[in-house]
Amino acid sequence: MSKPSDLLQGTLDLLLLKILALEPMNGWDISQRLKQISSDVLHVSDGSLYPALHKLEQQGWITAEWKPSENNRRAKFYSLTKPGRKHLEKETANWSRLSAAISHVVRLEEA
Amino acid sequence: MRLQHWLYTIPLRLRSLFRGRQADQELNEELQFHLEKKTEQGIAGGLSPAQARRAAMLVMGGLEQRKEQMRDARGIHWLTDFFDDARYAVRSLRRTPGLTAFVVITLALGIGITSGTFSMLDALIFKPYPVPHPSGLLNLAGTTHDSSFDDFSYREYLDIRDKTKSYDGVIANSDMQAVGFSADSTAMPRIKGGMMVSGNYFHVLGVEPQLGRVFREDEDRIAGRDAVVVLGPEFWRHEFSSDPSVVGRHVRLNGVDFTVIGVAPKTFPGMQIFDFPDFYIPLAMAPVFSTDRQKNFFEDRGDRELNVRARLKPDATLQHAQNELAVLAKNLETEYPKFNRGRNAAVHTHFEMRTRTDDGNWKFSVIFMILALAVLLVACTNVAGILLSRARTRTREIAVRLALGAGRLRLVRLLLTESLMLAVLGGLGGIAIAYGIVEWFHSYQSVIFMTDLPSAIPFEMNTRVLVAAIALSALSALLCGLVPALQSTRVDLVKGLKSADVDLPGRKGMWGRNALVVAQVSTSLMLLTAAFLMVRGFQQNAIGGLGFPKDHLLMTSFDPRLVQYNPAQTQQFYKLLAERMRQAPGVQGEALTQNIPLGLDGFDPFAFVPDGFEMPRDQENFNSLMDTVNEDYFSTMRIPIIHGRSFRGSDTEVAPRVAVVNEHFAKHYWPSMDAVGQHIRLNSRDGALVEIIGVAQTIKYQDSAEKPTDFLYMPLSQRPTPRMTLMLRSNGDPLQLVQTVKEVVRNLNPNLPMLNTRAYVEYYRNQAIEGPRVAMKMVGAMGMVGLLLAVAGLYGLMAYNVSRRTREIAIRMALGAEQSAVLRLVMGKGLVLVGIGTTIGVAMGFGVERLMNSMLFDAGGIDTLAYITVVPTLFVVTMLAAYIPARRATQIAPTQALRYE
Repeated sequence: MSKPSDLLQGTLDLLLLKILALEPMNGWDISQRLKQISSDVLHVSDGSLYPALHKLEQQGWITAEWKPSENNRRAKFYSLTKPGRKHLEKETANWSRLSAAISHVVRLEEA
Repeated sequence: MRLQHWLYTIPLRLRSLFRGRQADQELNEELQFHLEKKTEQGIAGGLSPAQARRAAMLVMGGLEQRKEQMRDARGIHWLTDFFDDARYAVRSLRRTPGLTAFVVITLALGIGITSGTFSMLDALIFKPYPVPHPSGLLNLAGTTHDSSFDDFSYREYLDIRDKTKSYDGVIANSDMQAVGFSADSTAMPRIKGGMMVSGNYFHVLGVEPQLGRVFREDEDRIAGRDAVVVLGPEFWRHEFSSDPSVVGRHVRLNGVDFTVIGVAPKTFPGMQIFDFPDFYIPLAMAPVFSTDRQKNFFEDRGDRELNVRARLKPDATLQHAQNELAVLAKNLETEYPKFNRGRNAAVHTHFEMRTRTDDGNWKFSVIFMILALAVLLVACTNVAGILLSRARTRTREIAVRLALGAGRLRLVRLLLTESLMLAVLGGLGGIAIAYGIVEWFHSYQSVIFMTDLPSAIPFEMNTRVLVAAIALSALSALLCGLVPALQSTRVDLVKGLKSADVDLPGRKGMWGRNALVVAQVSTSLMLLTAAFLMVRGFQQNAIGGLGFPKDHLLMTSFDPRLVQYNPAQTQQFYKLLAERMRQAPGVQGEALTQNIPLGLDGFDPFAFVPDGFEMPRDQENFNSLMDTVNEDYFSTMRIPIIHGRSFRGSDTEVAPRVAVVNEHFAKHYWPSMDAVGQHIRLNSRDGALVEIIGVAQTIKYQDSAEKPTDFLYMPLSQRPTPRMTLMLRSNGDPLQLVQTVKEVVRNLNPNLPMLNTRAYVEYYRNQAIEGPRVAMKMVGAMGMVGLLLAVAGLYGLMAYNVSRRTREIAIRMALGAEQSAVLRLVMGKGLVLVGIGTTIGVAMGFGVERLMNSMLFDAGGIDTLAYITVVPTLFVVTMLAAYIPARRATQIAPTQALRYE
């Protein structure tokens, strides 16, 4: 079984930012959404999700707010900040470059 | 983006710092929410609630670990750790209040003495000029073969101002001088301190007036035209109650009407260290303030009384300015060989000016600073020793912490936090003590400045001194905390867990403690030596006396310019004053003198050439000091005339010019001949001829510690001087004559003030004894504090050693060791340490003595008495500190001690 650390360093941050860019969400919803959109390929353990969210919050990329969730329980909703949005753009561009380069290399080997 | 970013992060940091509990609660709530959702999902998937819960927890992978990870994400754990450490440190310090108090007091003494002393150093050396951009200001000075800080004459100043290109303005000012001031023409004049400055003075300094205006550049162009005055801020406040309508008003200075044009700002008390001028007058008004009417301030290139400063252009370099000035000085030398032969000029920075070699004050403060640092060192070693002993009793605690996985660095941090707590408390106490010391300095204000002029002790607690105190606290925390912290965390875990108190592996541990004892003994020996030397140095000065009887003398000064007397009236006044005093009841003798021995006005310099003497090429004339006296001076002061005669009534202004020289002068210039009957020429080889008619005994002139120096007297009748001091010799208490003098003066002119009326012996005591005594008290106190701390430290270490070796000693005694053998065992080590410390201390003492000799007393040689006194004293006291614990060791009952633990 592959471990959660299969995720490339820093890619979890990118995923979380990307998900939050669409709409503000609480931790539980984020974990569900992650599973759903990556069709279970990217496995993020619940254990590493929350520390990652906190780190992003402390870095100022996302901000949190306590709001009632669907069944009126209080939950912490995260949303992207303005600097976070810029950061995401930059990271996305970085990622595209990196993945393009890696794909290129991989294809080279096959040929 | 950066700022916007902080908008989000800073509140979060603050929140986790101050509302940490709430943040933790929210953490918990958030995780719980997730777990419940997960459990719900599990139940929906068909698991039992308990199974679902367990599965949820498993995926989370340990709730507490997650929380800790999330807390670490806050990036402030180093700070919260520090708070935890601090709380722990305070708790453990409170457990031993006596020890803590001792340590805090020790540190407070060390830090307080050091920062109090630093206030001297700060005021004398570091304090910048109170003007905008002070670092751009340079001091310009003339240099000759024996001085690098000569003043300039007015003409030279103009040359520098007009012919240099490195500066944004060149300014000049005179020294502060006594000026008769009255707010209107009817009021009685009082003595105030005035300073003559160039017209561009305030503009170049960048000082804006708080009221009115400052001088215009053209106001120092024409001699005597612009009678305008700018008031100093303090003077305006107490003399005019800060009245803004003062601008435009007329005041009288030395009998001349001046218009007040402005007031200098509060931030500008003056450019000098000790003098704070009451008012400023343009240089062009110099004739009003000259004490010597024969001088021509504006034309005479040899009349050098101006300090010159300049503001360097931003694009000019110091080196360039220096070269330019040197070239200018060379040109002046070629152009005016008569005045400028052998004369160069130099540019000095503020720091160079403050640490000039010919000034003693800053040297004193440097020596004090060294001694104060020595006290701090003793205090720190003391505290280090205590902390070391303390740490050893905590070996087990530290071993447990290490065994549980605490990092060594983390433990060192904990222990350092503890010493930091101590240093913070000590620092606070130290700042209080420093305030006390500065106040104590100020209480000597009237003793040190026996003058009517606005001079003050400039030492103060300012930001720089406070910063120094804080830095010293931090430094001492590190000094006294680091070694114990490093050493006590190097514990053998197994042994440490087994016993509360183990020996450290090897001899390294003991080495540190022994070094502490040696450092303490040697440093305090050095302190004591320094204190002793200083006390002896001052005492020798005081015992030496002045060379004439000081008691039964009354002094009082006059300046008839204050009532607008012209030179002829002034002469007449002094003639009548002397005549009437001579006949007054109770007066044994009267004397008039321009300045008294150790007087504050300073003696005039005197340039001359012995008649017929071929001067060396690079020197135009010789220099000496001189005084102007009347014919009864020598008899009244009881200064013996060794040879020849004193001045007589027949030495009038039309008679041939005469002078009396002192014995040193006579021997100096006519070593194998009789000086009486010889002639000298004033200023240069073609100056006026003066005959030497007598040789007086050499006395002390400027300083009770001075070496014999050349001196010359001129008769008042041939050298009219406006400001003179009357000396009266009485039968009984000299102050009884005050009333007599008052009546005589009132008959001559009821408006003329008597200045500085005192018994001379009183004045002498303040000048020569009380002032130095301040320094003696300071050094003495430092020596005592150093000794006390060293003794306490040594005692503590010995006592600790004995208590640690209780079992060993008990076993030895149980096996039959004699009491004396045990005593030898314990004392032997102390003896060796004190011995080594004493040797190093004596060597350091020699060093300090050389330093003091070179800077202050110049006594030369080695003061054996100092060492004969200090070394055995220290030895006996420290041995006593070692003996008491050793003695206690011999009285240990073996049965009891072996049960120990």
